[in-house]
Amino acid sequence: MRLSLILTDSQEYLTFLWPCVKMHYTQNGIVVVRRKKTVRSKYTFIEFLIFKFPLMFFVGLLYGMLGWTIVVSFTNWKGTAPNYDFAGFKWYRLMITLDRFHVDVANNLKWLSLGVIPTVILALFIAYLLELGSFRKLESYIRTLILYPVAMSFIVTGTIWSWMLDPDKGVFNTILRGVGLGFLQGRFTTNPSTATYWLILIFVWQYLGFSVIILQSSLRTAELRDMTESALIDGASRLRILLQIIIPNIRSGLLILIALLLISTLKVFDIVYIVTFGGPGTATDVLAFYMLLATFQQHLVSLGAGIGVVIFLIAASIVIPYTIYAFKKWFD
Amino acid sequence: MRKIVSVLIVLSVFAAVVFAGGEQEKATGTAAEERKLEIFHWWIGPGEREAADEWFKALHAKYPEVEVIENPVAGGGGVSHRVVLQSRLSAGLPPDTFQALGGAELKAYVDGNYLLPLDDLWTELNYRKVIPGPLANTFMFNGHPYGIPLNMHIQNILYYNKDLFNELGLTEPKNFDELMTVAAAIKEAKPDMYPLGLGTKEKWEAAFVLDLIILGEGGPEYYVKLFKGEIDVTKDKIFRTALEKLDKLKPYTYPYHANLTWDQSVSLVVAGDAAMVTMGTWAIGAFLNNKWTPGEDFGALTFPQSPKERYLLFHADSFILPKNSPHPGTVMDFLRVTASPELQIPCDVVQGGLVARIDIDPKVFPDPIRQEMQAYIRDNPTKLILDQHGSIAPASFSSEYWAAIAGFMAEDRPNIDKTLAQIGTLFTTYEVKKDAAWYVWP
Repeated sequence: MRLSLILTDSQEYLTFLWPCVKMHYTQNGIVVVRRKKTVRSKYTFIEFLIFKFPLMFFVGLLYGMLGWTIVVSFTNWKGTAPNYDFAGFKWYRLMITLDRFHVDVANNLKWLSLGVIPTVILALFIAYLLELGSFRKLESYIRTLILYPVAMSFIVTGTIWSWMLDPDKGVFNTILRGVGLGFLQGRFTTNPSTATYWLILIFVWQYLGFSVIILQSSLRTAELRDMTESALIDGASRLRILLQIIIPNIRSGLLILIALLLISTLKVFDIVYIVTFGGPGTATDVLAFYMLLATFQQHLVSLGAGIGVVIFLIAASIVIPYTIYAFKKWFD
Repeated sequence: MRKIVSVLIVLSVFAAVVFAGGEQEKATGTAAEERKLEIFHWWIGPGEREAADEWFKALHAKYPEVEVIENPVAGGGGVSHRVVLQSRLSAGLPPDTFQALGGAELKAYVDGNYLLPLDDLWTELNYRKVIPGPLANTFMFNGHPYGIPLNMHIQNILYYNKDLFNELGLTEPKNFDELMTVAAAIKEAKPDMYPLGLGTKEKWEAAFVLDLIILGEGGPEYYVKLFKGEIDVTKDKIFRTALEKLDKLKPYTYPYHANLTWDQSVSLVVAGDAAMVTMGTWAIGAFLNNKWTPGEDFGALTFPQSPKERYLLFHADSFILPKNSPHPGTVMDFLRVTASPELQIPCDVVQGGLVARIDIDPKVFPDPIRQEMQAYIRDNPTKLILDQHGSIAPASFSSEYWAAIAGFMAEDRPNIDKTLAQIGTLFTTYEVKKDAAWYVWP
């Protein structure tokens, strides 16, 4: 229950930071309102230095930057020098008129759906297959093999895949030509209408092994094994066991995996930067990449900050409801 | 009580950090200036690294005591350089000097009030007289010169495989129609070869090809007016024709250009996959790296040369003097060296550009290509036009314009009306007319 630990911790921290703050929190479903009367700190100076200062620094840095980005997005910072004149929603209004912004949002949604769902489904099947008896001997080899991509950075995977996907000199097309299947050759990332899908494929490949490991660990509980065995004796098919016994029982693993994948696809930047640089044209552009270009190449700092806020809002609108939903399900 | 004490301590720690920074700044501004030069530049690629070393060789030949602290940023003059520089500048901690392109990029720093004008230095060096007028104009803002240009990159050059042209009995194409004829001839004789190499991964490369066509269609005045935002491209015939011609060039162009960077597009020619490529003077360095001899293995000509007069598109690297530079005296010495032939000759010969000073003998270049171009500029200094490569129009426009042209190049059946409307919107959205008004040509 690490997530819940973190939650309690943050509550503690909050009381710790502002001892006189009025606290609302839930205890067994009942909202408790408590005002701390005694303001005396229980901590010595050394404890303060060790615990409180780094925390304040962290909170200040993270949320300070977030707040600052929101502030800048409402200013009129255009060019190299800061300009903090209030500009209202000027840059947001500009943003929604930009073709590029629409391409980016569409691409980000493609990443969100196609980066997460196939990865989870594939990982589930692979994890299940590995757990089945017949693969026991091969299992450790296969696991190492599929775990390799996780150990590599996106810079490396991106470079390798851009070599493989090169339509002219790349591995795939060369092999296809070599075996006389030249008509199957693809344009891969150089075709504006399909380029994003090839990038998502790289992501799926990179995160598959990682997902398998997470799901495998939740598959390996004694209860689940007992249940599977009794279902087998009752004559249930393997597929039915997967769908009706395993999936409902590994919800916590799925929750963590999907949350991690959602976050990773939302902040996708490196694959795009390395493999296509947003191209052809703006076909594979994503919000995070455009944020960099708008801020530093176009010198439209407020626009860049605005795009950052949009990414944050998308992330919040997906991750927060999802987490609330998942927690409710989890603690039923 | 304890809480108050702890708050005070935190405040004092912050204060100490802040004041320590301030004191340091003050200490370095004193009369006995340290002989240090912190320099930001992006010349670290092959051919460029050697050229950058020539700067410091020239500097040390005259001022051996100067300690150079290099802070090179990988990734060319592109976005990675600006990320670091922008944060240093807006934090009020500029490096001693940094590399900047003349024109719109320099203007962005001048507008940000980060630079000091160099009127006295230009007068002292009589620099306006020794460099071509159009070059000097791209360093003049609000009537003051900023920065010392050290070279000129010519952009509108067509490189071609000389052996192949001899083998097929082709002559170098001097305008678009001849280019199409030559391309068709190459395609027919060598079906496996792409007549025109191209790489658009970094986006700006496709706009180079379009530049050649625009210059041939509309001539120099039109080119300048276009990038000053004085033309409505949605209604303009010349720009539409130029885009249509670019589209006609597609069947002869390397189709997977979205995957390649500019140097890889040059490598296509070296590898025999492509016959020609358009690129700036810096491609000479890339050819040399591949052991191709200029004038023997490959030929080059500025394009177009007919039917209209021959004009050269250029942009220039420079070094500048920022406000609050910690060692302004050393920077001034470095700028004096930058303006001198002792730095420009070795550096520009190695890096692949032309020298900024026209009083330098063009024979310093080992290859006939640059000898010819440098001599042409010496005799016709007014035939230079600042190119659109980060120069006339503001960067907010250029970056999106490149992406639009690269996207146009990547589409099999592009919609010309849509592209025109898109580019028209870019001109108005990013207020090109206002932001490019500084540029005066001729």
